[in-house]
Amino acid sequence: MKIIVAIKQVPERDAQVHIDSTGKWIEEGDMQWALNESDAYALEEALQLKEKHGGEVVVVSAGPERVGSTIREALAKGADRAIHIDCDDLGHLDALGVARLLSAAIAPESPDLTLTGLQSDDLGYGQTGVVLAELLGLPHASLILHVEKTEAGLTVKRELEEGWFQTIELPLPAVLTIQSGGNKLRYATLMGIKKAKTKEIRRVTSQELGSAAAPVVFLDRVFAPQKQKSTQILGGTPKEAAAALVEKLKFEARIL
Amino acid sequence: MIYFLPTLAEPQHFAFQDKLLFIVLAASSGFLFWRRFGPILKKILASKKDADFRLFPLGKRSWDFFWEVLCQAKVIRQRPLPGLAHAFVFWGFCAFALVTLNHCAVGLGIGFLDPSGWFGRLYFYLAALFAVACAVGILGLFVRRFVIRPKWLGDKLSWESGFIALLIFLLMATYLAAFYVADASSSARLLWWVHTITLLVFLPIIPHTKHLHLVLSPATVFLSRGGFSRIPPLAGDDDFGLIAGTDLTRLVSLQAYSCVECGRCTEHCPAAITGKLLNPKEIILGLRSYLNECGPASAEPLLGTYNSQEAVFQCTTCGACEYQCPVGIEHVPMLVGLRRGAVNTGAWDDDHGAKLFLALERGSNAFGMSAIERDKFIQKQEFPYFDGSQEYCLWLGCMGGYDPKGREIIADFVRVMKYLGASYGVLRKEKCTGDPVRRLGNDLVYQQLAESNLETMAQAKVKKVVSICPHCVRTIQEDWKEYGTPPEIEHHSEFIARHINQLPPVESRGKIVYHDPCYLGRYRNIYDEPRAVITKAGQLVEAPRSHERSFCCGAGGGLAFLGEEKGERVSQIRAEELVATGASTIGTACPFCNTMFRDALATKGGSVPQLLDIAQLTARNLPAAKPNDATVR
Amino acid sequence: MSGIWVVAEERNGRIARMSFEALAAGHVLGEELGLPVNAVLPGSQTGALTAAIATKKVARVVRIENASLATYTSDAFTLALEQFIRAEHPDYVVFPHTYQVRDYAPALAARFGQVLIGDVTGIGAGPVFVRQLMQGRLSGEYRPAGGGICFVSVQSGAFRTEQTESVPATVEVFTPKIEAAQIRTKPSQPFRSSAQTVDLGSAQFIVSVGRGIKEAENLPIVQELAAALGAELAASRPICDSGWLPIERQVGSSGQTVSPKLYLAVGISGAIQHLVGMKGSHCVVAINKDPDAPIFEIADFGIVGDLFEVVPALTEAVKAAKR
Repeated sequence: MKIIVAIKQVPERDAQVHIDSTGKWIEEGDMQWALNESDAYALEEALQLKEKHGGEVVVVSAGPERVGSTIREALAKGADRAIHIDCDDLGHLDALGVARLLSAAIAPESPDLTLTGLQSDDLGYGQTGVVLAELLGLPHASLILHVEKTEAGLTVKRELEEGWFQTIELPLPAVLTIQSGGNKLRYATLMGIKKAKTKEIRRVTSQELGSAAAPVVFLDRVFAPQKQKSTQILGGTPKEAAAALVEKLKFEARIL
Repeated sequence: MIYFLPTLAEPQHFAFQDKLLFIVLAASSGFLFWRRFGPILKKILASKKDADFRLFPLGKRSWDFFWEVLCQAKVIRQRPLPGLAHAFVFWGFCAFALVTLNHCAVGLGIGFLDPSGWFGRLYFYLAALFAVACAVGILGLFVRRFVIRPKWLGDKLSWESGFIALLIFLLMATYLAAFYVADASSSARLLWWVHTITLLVFLPIIPHTKHLHLVLSPATVFLSRGGFSRIPPLAGDDDFGLIAGTDLTRLVSLQAYSCVECGRCTEHCPAAITGKLLNPKEIILGLRSYLNECGPASAEPLLGTYNSQEAVFQCTTCGACEYQCPVGIEHVPMLVGLRRGAVNTGAWDDDHGAKLFLALERGSNAFGMSAIERDKFIQKQEFPYFDGSQEYCLWLGCMGGYDPKGREIIADFVRVMKYLGASYGVLRKEKCTGDPVRRLGNDLVYQQLAESNLETMAQAKVKKVVSICPHCVRTIQEDWKEYGTPPEIEHHSEFIARHINQLPPVESRGKIVYHDPCYLGRYRNIYDEPRAVITKAGQLVEAPRSHERSFCCGAGGGLAFLGEEKGERVSQIRAEELVATGASTIGTACPFCNTMFRDALATKGGSVPQLLDIAQLTARNLPAAKPNDATVR
Repeated sequence: MSGIWVVAEERNGRIARMSFEALAAGHVLGEELGLPVNAVLPGSQTGALTAAIATKKVARVVRIENASLATYTSDAFTLALEQFIRAEHPDYVVFPHTYQVRDYAPALAARFGQVLIGDVTGIGAGPVFVRQLMQGRLSGEYRPAGGGICFVSVQSGAFRTEQTESVPATVEVFTPKIEAAQIRTKPSQPFRSSAQTVDLGSAQFIVSVGRGIKEAENLPIVQELAAALGAELAASRPICDSGWLPIERQVGSSGQTVSPKLYLAVGISGAIQHLVGMKGSHCVVAINKDPDAPIFEIADFGIVGDLFEVVPALTEAVKAAKR
């Protein structure tokens, strides 16, 4: 199977968030970068499928030069080669623009399966995979925890709301967006990193892939959310506190 | 006076056939010896060279050789009676050097020590004294092995040991008997031949048994790695640790062949004692079997048939094994080497281990917590940031930065520093020193952490560091050297002890039993400073196993981050030992020991002693906290 | 352009609650822009359901009716709504941000050269749409370029459903053309994971008990709360060490790592070995009688009190809320 995994380099989860002078994004100067979490699970799923069925795993990532470190991490974990879409203004593209870029790079590869993470840790649209499938004209399924290859194509396990699941059968080629937590992630090893040094990273610029259409949605400004995470201590008698908690869980946390 | 005592009888005349027989026998014996020893030596020399072995300076090596080999210090110290017995056997051998030489020379008709001359008499009597001691010694050891049967010598009776004991006894007996027969008599000749045959039988047996240590161990002790538990750097791009025979280095091979199977390592191993698979002696013997059967050029995996991966990951790296090995085997680098082979290639499949590695791949601390939590702690405590103007950089570490108890220890230590007027600051960004991943064998993550931290410290112009955690101290002081020049660092016990006279006097506050942390005690030989601190805070009580015999809390070697232990809990055993001293407080100097005992004490019913770090013990004697010294969360 | 169309979702034979929230959002938008608000429900045999929406102050209600829409597939829903949109030319299409919508709405928007503005938590003048970034650490304002259809989905609970009723609008029917061959995926019936093994890792609700419970005999108090919440029972290490609960229920560095929507820590102090096992929880509630317990540092909500009084009271309150 030839599997393409679209991965994104995002600010590390720990990062302190400071809004930059334009008010449109955050300061990136001091930032540490990491592989998007659900993309790590997508990569893991791809690697396990390769180990079971043979084939090739190719990672694709769009972004500036720093994206190289995340690409190498993916190669170290076992991907066979990579395509780096050199793009300095990724932040100015909307979800459709990003998906167009990726599909232009992926389509010529004619993969059997394309995987993306469910959503990115920074923007969190959760759309790239679905739009990618649409642009490639392929069937897709999202929120996938488990993938199995069958005679006819794939059987996948999809997460539904409130602890329900369902299986979906779909033909190949297809696109899947992978939910976090479905597999145990493998750790990067020294041997993997050393092997990665000889693996191919093909560079292609966004211009080569075709001119981007103008965005249809703009992120005008960012701001700190009103509610900071602080502990709300609920007082009163046990009965009062219990009632207050249920209220909070229903309407503030929206869990009950 | 000595002229009145009997002299050693020697056969007077050897015919040509006798000499020929002797030469033939000696040659055969030598040949058989070499037939077995030669390949072993070849295997050791054919092993990879050690990446960072430096023969010079010779000072420490010579001292260790003198103390451990000639004075038999380690042999005697841990097991006094049997140790002394063995020492006498050894000294007997040394004393017998000239005797044996002369003995063989006699057989060729060129004996050079005249038994009736003053030097000959003196020497032979001296040798006789040693012979008596040796005979008594070997008899005692025989009884110990075959009658008393201590469990660390293993369940199987070692007949070869019995046979060798017999040979040694015979050697001494025939020597002593020679004082009681007439010179040049047929009895003298008989004794001479029995002695000779015994020698010539003994010689080829040596390389076939653990008695190879007679030949190797002086070299093994002399050629140590040059630091306790010193983990060697990986040698180049293709070195991932000890995976197969081709990875074994000369030191590893030499040490594997030197094992004398005494079992001192296993006797003190916390994993072995609590019924786990790990048995340090078996690890070494497993490597030896591998070398015997596969050799240093083999691609056969080291883990699998010869040693189990599971056992290797049960080691807390406490170093008790290595610390008292009398023949100089360095167990910890071997275990870490085997772990490296499994981890650096991804062969180790462990959920908790993977979680630890992933947490440190992506984040800054071993718990996978957000660094913002550490920032919040610093801000709440109003710790100043290190800006190059303060004397000390206070290293929080993972425990000090994120664990509630670790944070209490830090806050109390800061109170002590403030009281003493020491200027300090904390770093803005701290990553885990890499201790757990280093000991687990993940060189990739370890390198990333060490390099990142070294750069942070260099940029912040850090000169002196003080830390509450012996693991951080050891890793920064020793392990980081592989990637740069770490700043000076000391443990907070050293800091407090240095200023002990500036601290207010206090009347004793009950008994405090001190637990020596492995990474402070055995690893760095710091025993007195924490005790000075404890004595200031109360009445010091020693645990039955203390100082270099201290029993591990079970957290080291990365194990604090792995899953549940099999068998009894190491921390439980030690906690019970500490509680049984009757002390009202357990004093610790390591936040990991502290947390392990806290868990262990939590499952005990009834009243348990207080558990306090030495910083907390010191701080409680200081004048009451000022309003802005809030108690810490 | 025909105004704002809110896409309702059918679930288990009823209109899903989130659809009414989306409707409320639609009304906010409608007031802001002076546009009519309509509702559309894709499905099969949904005649009985539309009554519930028709009385919610909507100008028009349309049922998209096709047998292929009986079970959700992205192909069927995308095709159906695409045809509907081409027929009706809406200005705005508003969805509830459900798993289903996440699966097809981005593709639907792409067919019109548009981008879904998803998981919106607020609507401002302009209009601008507010959504969360960086896992909630940042908020952003999104503005559509204009000149095309704008697709928006709203976060669960961001807009409160309105109580006002109105004169019911007439329900129209729209029948799209969907060929069987166009539906490329085959979904199965939904199922729950087996209840036999304890799977804390995928539990959405967890009630966790610590040493504050004092004795094994007191566990039923907490078990009742767990039952009321539909939660799994978990524990900190000392509880499992003492054998009061099996080791599979231990949460912590040497036990399970969990990330439920709700983690209720009862009588747990919050040592780091426990925290690392549950810090991924979406919402943490702590009940402890020690106000300085470290668990409160990471809790979203906390009650300082005697758990023997608070927990039963909470069980009652939860049962009442679910009635």
